[in-house]
Amino acid sequence: MPEKPPREIKYLATLPVNILLNAVLIIPFAIMIYLAFLKWSPAMGMNWWEAPIIGLTNFARALGDARFIAALSRTALYTVSVVAIEFFLGLALAYIMLGDFVGKKAAIAITIYPLMLPPVVVATIFYLMFQSYGPVNNLFLKAIMGEEALRIYWFLKPDTAFITLLIADIWQWTPFMFLIMYSALSAVPKRLVEAAEVLGASSFTIFWRVRLPLIKPLIIVALVLRGLEAFKMFDYAFIMTGGGPGTTTETVSMYIYRTAILYTDISYAAAMSLIILAMIIIVVRAFIWYFFERGR
Amino acid sequence: MKSHGTKILLSALKYIAIGIFVLWVLIPVAWVVSLAFKPYAEWRVSYFVPKNFTWNNFIVLFKSEAFVGIMGATAIVEPVTKPLINSLAVTSLSTIIAVMIGFFTAYGASRYNTPGPFGLFFTLLTRMLPPATFVTPIMVYYSNLRLLDTHFGLIILYSAVTVTYGIWILKGFIDAIPIEWEEAAMLEGATPIKTLFKVVLPIARPGLVVAGLFIFLLTWTELLFALVLTNVYAVTLPVHISKYVGAVGQLYGPQAALALIGSIIPIAIGYAIQKHLVTGFTFGMVRG
Repeated sequence: MPEKPPREIKYLATLPVNILLNAVLIIPFAIMIYLAFLKWSPAMGMNWWEAPIIGLTNFARALGDARFIAALSRTALYTVSVVAIEFFLGLALAYIMLGDFVGKKAAIAITIYPLMLPPVVVATIFYLMFQSYGPVNNLFLKAIMGEEALRIYWFLKPDTAFITLLIADIWQWTPFMFLIMYSALSAVPKRLVEAAEVLGASSFTIFWRVRLPLIKPLIIVALVLRGLEAFKMFDYAFIMTGGGPGTTTETVSMYIYRTAILYTDISYAAAMSLIILAMIIIVVRAFIWYFFERGR
Repeated sequence: MKSHGTKILLSALKYIAIGIFVLWVLIPVAWVVSLAFKPYAEWRVSYFVPKNFTWNNFIVLFKSEAFVGIMGATAIVEPVTKPLINSLAVTSLSTIIAVMIGFFTAYGASRYNTPGPFGLFFTLLTRMLPPATFVTPIMVYYSNLRLLDTHFGLIILYSAVTVTYGIWILKGFIDAIPIEWEEAAMLEGATPIKTLFKVVLPIARPGLVVAGLFIFLLTWTELLFALVLTNVYAVTLPVHISKYVGAVGQLYGPQAALALIGSIIPIAIGYAIQKHLVTGFTFGMVRG
């Protein structure tokens, strides 16, 4: 360290970020906490600071709201499904691609392509793929089921609509898992693997007993980050299914969006947001404590 | 030891597995590229190469009211020009702000051990929370400040939610600059601020580029904030795409063309920073 740390710099350096975050995020966040205890909608014709305080009513309403609970459990199911599938696919792919082979660079470049696309574009792609005359029906399923395949309307049944969302997510984010697992596996020191080989371990044992334990922290990081991203899901459902048929593919993000924008029930949307925020903060805080602070 | 035959079989299986995955990635993209150049009559066929190649799907995107009457749909759609320009302007400006502010914060965090005002936890949180959970109060706040449907409102919001990435990516780069260089400059009589701009900033330039491109990628693809906070004047490209696909119905050709237009810039940027994607997506927790 320099002998005389210039204090002005220390405060000056973090001043802009303080101003920006306070002005754009902290103030609205404070407003949201207040809003959640009000009964307010723009349709009431008054400003929000004039609205009556109704205490915990909004929170109680959320806990008794079947549509909210359904959206919450659906989003949880979605998150667990896509993260699990993406993790195993990504790990398998990273393991396969670990050695040298012809065309490796090209294979990796193609593999990570979906990662760079905007989710709205991916949603558009799969909206087009799953049309009744799209290639999924018209090419693949037609080969198996014949003309029947053209009468499958993916977006009109709750189960199949949900599956299209899972497929879009898996298509776009398996490369994310692949990239992290690949760089983690490549970073495992060669001498450890060679030492195990000399001792006569099979390649499966080396993978299970040497490589996997070494990359465990990165696996956790990848699972948590991807899980939190998947829980946010809005774009695919908004574009591909519109939450439908009915509200059967509605995610938490979509329900909050609709409550605030379509039904203009701002204070109820704020209360639901706070419930979700509290849940996520607990998960993230536990995650940071467990993996970054516990040992110190 | 494995026999020669097993080895050949294993490497064949490896190629097959990789081949299947490459096809899984490429087929949906190939279908959209082919749709974009197909005339109306070929939107529902099963072959990929268009028989009558056309640019019409792209041309139609730049006109308004082009779709009235086709297939009974009477949606009037604005041309894509304005959303495209809006997206470019909003994304560029918010990226520059986020990178510059991120640079100062990262410098403070790296040299004086100030991890920002709220520490690791808060900076992570701004990215980890679902946008839907804090877009409601921002909408209320913006409507009181008359910032709804303005470019300025979007720009400062995007800077605030992406500055985290700027901090984390740049901190890695600044940590790698030997502090002795700064001490040398200060011994020569340079002020701390001059040292920051004349010594640290030029050396950290590759980091600024990586952080900037990554933030550009994230902002370019963002839908929800723009959907809630814009209406007519400041509509961005993802909002335009979402309205076009959700509301208009079965205009497969132009929808595919629009998807291509929306992916050109992110693809170019993504390959430019391919090596740093891992670092970016994991806030520097995993080095690419």
